[in-house]
Amino acid sequence: MREILQAALEELFGPGEILALRRLPGGASKEAWALDYQTGKEALPLFLRRAGGGVIYAGTLPLAQEFRLLQIAHAHGVRVPRPLHYFPDLEGREAFLMERLEGESIGARIVRRPEYAGVRERLPEAMAQELAAIHAIPLSEVGFLPFPSQPPWQEALDLAYRDLDALEEPHPALEWGLRWLSQNPPPPRLPVLVHGDFRIGNLLVTLEELVAVLDWEFAHIGDPREDLAWPLVRAWRFGEDGKRLGGIGEVGPFLERYNALTGRGIAEGELFWWEVLGNVRWGLGALKQARRHLKGEERSVELAVLGRLAAEMEYEILDLLERHG
Amino acid sequence: MDRPNLDELLEATAEFLERELLPTVGDPRLRFQLLVALNALGIARRELALGEALRQEEAAELEALLSHGGDREALLKELAWRIRQGQAPEATSAFLKAHVRRKLLLANPKYLERYP
Repeated sequence: MREILQAALEELFGPGEILALRRLPGGASKEAWALDYQTGKEALPLFLRRAGGGVIYAGTLPLAQEFRLLQIAHAHGVRVPRPLHYFPDLEGREAFLMERLEGESIGARIVRRPEYAGVRERLPEAMAQELAAIHAIPLSEVGFLPFPSQPPWQEALDLAYRDLDALEEPHPALEWGLRWLSQNPPPPRLPVLVHGDFRIGNLLVTLEELVAVLDWEFAHIGDPREDLAWPLVRAWRFGEDGKRLGGIGEVGPFLERYNALTGRGIAEGELFWWEVLGNVRWGLGALKQARRHLKGEERSVELAVLGRLAAEMEYEILDLLERHG
Repeated sequence: MDRPNLDELLEATAEFLERELLPTVGDPRLRFQLLVALNALGIARRELALGEALRQEEAAELEALLSHGGDREALLKELAWRIRQGQAPEATSAFLKAHVRRKLLLANPKYLERYP
């Protein structure tokens, strides 16, 4: 692995030396490696993402497409780690190299630690700005992503029902949410490139600013409101329930800034459908993760417990719909 | 069976993990996994203490909602199917709230306090 990396790095940055190549802890479906490349006086901090040996988590983009998306997003001024090189075959698996940025991505810390209070105030508008930039990427540039054959909300519901049926365990509260969603479809919006997992926890943040939007593996062509509502899901507030936007702020200023930048004029009420869907999706996601453990795809007590914690999202769905009336 | 009983065994294990092992674990990932494991033991102990009563409550409410008896899993499946078909019984919403509440009393009772 070192030799192939070395060759690519020499081509990119000239002669140098790979220092401190180390695997970072993480999931079995994707490997994460950190390394530094010493050229002259400079040590470039780099990050390598490589396909894992285990079962691929269904519904995620191949690394080749994730790499292309990062290139496109970077070219359009979205804050992302600069993508550097794609390896179709790095010891039998695809991988790509990108710059390694400094910052915090652990959601609970960004939401709770006092030293982030300053950046928390700026985050709602910064998040809106990034989403506006992502949603402005011309669809002609992401032609490698499938264009939905039906409205994105319909697509999302079909997928949710398929996921629910695959569990082979009754979840009447999720059915209740899905029934409401299918009976109250949202008015149409023009499809855009959707990040697909835009929330605190997938943002890299320093004490001063939002540095990068990470984890593009769920990107797809969809409804802009999906990305706007996903960070409202209660599970991503890390206990700061009163601050509806990711436990760090209010929805109003976030949406206002987004609308000012995009001219889409999306009303806060329009996000409700997608917030309910977000809770259904993360509820299903938690149950699916538990099955990765139960089926032996990735044995982990953390994944196992998620099977029980899905009830939190079920409770939130019932509460949202009850208060909505 | 001889003492310690099942709950006492789980309790002893949790105490060891929390009091003796946890303070020695510096690696953040392992620390987190250890806390998750302690949480899993907590769920197991709550299920041991409350599970039977909650199962009985659930069965009684399900039978009342669907107006017939049967295996709990089968009744839940029937309710799920009826909701999907748009044929949910009148009191479904109230039942679901209690149903999920029972699951949370085991999985994470503190979560319920977050709803005023």
